[in-house]
Amino acid sequence: MPSAPTKLYADDVSLLVVLLDTNPFFWSTSSLPFSKFLSHVLSFLNSILLLNQINQIVVIATGCNSCDYIYDSSLSTNPGIENGKLPALCSELLKKLEDFVTRDEQLNKQHSLPPTTTSSSLLSGSLSMALCYIQRVFRSGPLRPHPRILCVQGSSDGPEQYVAIMNSIFSAQRSMVPIDSCYIGSNNSAFLQQASYITGGVYQKPQQLDGLFQYLSTVFATDLHSRAFLQLPKSVGVDFRASCFCHKKTIDMGYICSVCLSIFCKHHKKCSTCGSVFGQAQSDVASASNLKRKTPET
Amino acid sequence: MPEVKIIAKNFMDMVASLPAMKLDKLYDNAFICEAILRSLPPLAKKYVLQMLYIDSPITAKSMEVWVLPDGSSKHRVAIDRLIQLRVFSETVDRRKETTYKINPTFQTNLQKLLTHGEVLPREPMPSNITVRLPSVEDLDVYAIGQWECFLLQLISSAQAERPSNISSSMMKVFQRGLLSQRDKEAPRLTESGFQFLLMDTNAQLWYIIREYISNSEERGVDPADLISFLLELSFHVTGEAYNSNTLTEVQRNTIKDLTDLGLVKLQQGRKESWFIPTKLATNLSVSLTDSSSRKQGFVVVETNFRLYAYSTSKLHCEILRLFSRVEYQLPNLIVGAITKESLYNAFENGITADQIISFLQQNAHPRVAERIPTVPENVTDQIRLWESDLNRVEMTPAHYYDEFPSREIFEAACDHAREWNGLLWEDSKRMRLVVKAEIHIHMRDHLRGQKQ
Repeated sequence: MPSAPTKLYADDVSLLVVLLDTNPFFWSTSSLPFSKFLSHVLSFLNSILLLNQINQIVVIATGCNSCDYIYDSSLSTNPGIENGKLPALCSELLKKLEDFVTRDEQLNKQHSLPPTTTSSSLLSGSLSMALCYIQRVFRSGPLRPHPRILCVQGSSDGPEQYVAIMNSIFSAQRSMVPIDSCYIGSNNSAFLQQASYITGGVYQKPQQLDGLFQYLSTVFATDLHSRAFLQLPKSVGVDFRASCFCHKKTIDMGYICSVCLSIFCKHHKKCSTCGSVFGQAQSDVASASNLKRKTPET
Repeated sequence: MPEVKIIAKNFMDMVASLPAMKLDKLYDNAFICEAILRSLPPLAKKYVLQMLYIDSPITAKSMEVWVLPDGSSKHRVAIDRLIQLRVFSETVDRRKETTYKINPTFQTNLQKLLTHGEVLPREPMPSNITVRLPSVEDLDVYAIGQWECFLLQLISSAQAERPSNISSSMMKVFQRGLLSQRDKEAPRLTESGFQFLLMDTNAQLWYIIREYISNSEERGVDPADLISFLLELSFHVTGEAYNSNTLTEVQRNTIKDLTDLGLVKLQQGRKESWFIPTKLATNLSVSLTDSSSRKQGFVVVETNFRLYAYSTSKLHCEILRLFSRVEYQLPNLIVGAITKESLYNAFENGITADQIISFLQQNAHPRVAERIPTVPENVTDQIRLWESDLNRVEMTPAHYYDEFPSREIFEAACDHAREWNGLLWEDSKRMRLVVKAEIHIHMRDHLRGQKQ
């Protein structure tokens, strides 16, 4: 028997959390200017809102030092009243985005970190913010739209965020929230491939960035209900490589703590995560068998 | 008089049945495009979005590539709907290849909406002119009050507390089909009238609006204009004031009627007058789709068939009376019991068990709405059982054959009837059989063939 709460919403009502990459290090090198990218994304957001009156959009900016909510359609003021020219969604989002970017830049100066560590965006932070938001919606009452997360990411993976990202991915999997990823950088992102693979989302790397809107509207605008009937892009191969916990390097062979499954690139005397004491690696031959190889799945 | 059949939420069918020229004209209005898009099935929405920036026709084959085997029926429904609403136009070329093209007016309007975002049909009035705007809660109370008053007036004109401005001729139009009027007798609710009362507010609203629109030609108003105005109204912001000067004469008259239904509230300032759309008006385009309203429920059903309704509304009491025995009425509570007699009464009036159960589920008090199931299972089962009790005998019009000249002919006749899936009963000893009435002609032909 269908229960009442699930029937209160139509099948295709969605809550879409979009994670926008605002990393200046990536956008300065990208072939697609940030302004053009934004106009594609804004049209896409408009189209989601257009599809259903109760569709909801949350936009989270992923900077390289911080993350923040920059738009929430359920909180937005009445459209159209603001200063005439730009519609509310654009003006509100752009203003918040600008504030965010300046703040993020100032943080960068304060920390004065070496530029090598800041070249990746804080994807783990924005992922967890998105999941927190979705959890709050889940708990707010019986009326729930179908939530999903869309990462529009350009900068390359930061191996130092490996653990945090994997944790977010697994919690998204547990709460049945698919993570879609649209990767616009040069190489494939192993994190996002894994995220989409594990949570049942769609990973796509658009071939032509000029037509980004078409990619977004054909693939990522599909609501979860319709996905059951449609052929969406399938990932050809997923890079399952992990990062080691000691030097945050991406490795395909390493040592694993037999107690807590932490990954290391070198042999250690003691596990840095759980403190278990390891025995001496007997010989090169024996230690080679302890090395676990993770091969990309095809 | 033709039977008015109540099918809730079929507004889009009405739009689809408009003549092609009017439909194309309707699409000039961006709000209609938006409302139509939102009313489409999910898959159809996706197709529209996908085709929005494609100017050349797309072959049917290339669209089917996207569909998984499971979704082919949904795909067909979506495409049919799009063609029916003239959003897609279908052409079959010489090579028998079907191509679809999106309606250009529809396309440009939606493209504009995408790039500029949603725009309001008119600017709300500045707050310094409209001093005493009602709060959202007040407005909701007002809207529901107006609507219930209208419903009460609809089902029994005597019970309404205050007369509304809706002319009695208009009321007659609304009552047509819901009430049966016999000479010298109090009007009685018809079967569809009972069903109407059990529908949720949005569905009821659409039924009334539909009657209002289909009646518009008699009043000299173009239905297409009315439809576009009503849809436009649904895109206004609830609780904001809009100047009545921006309306045309026809629209101003319409607004007056809508006030009585609780869709808008009219207020008069010193110089200007304005209208404030209520939740009912802004929900108009929502109710086009299947999502139901989000109003608070009030009914608690217990496993002992008792029913507690926390409501002060006379209308609710009347509705509950349709299928339960109301025992006492306290200022904010109606206590009743679901009994076999009360249900039989309801079934006689043409209400089905499923309608009663879905009414109880949809209007469940928030305390029980969280529970699964909201209505105790033994109650829902019993309601269904009592209904099936009444349907123990199933009538099928049939024809009876006997005195077959030989067993072969009898056997052949039986087989023939089986082939048509119409054999109801056979008695091979005495060579008698009964077949469904609709295959009588085939049987007759068959038997004649046998004789020769």
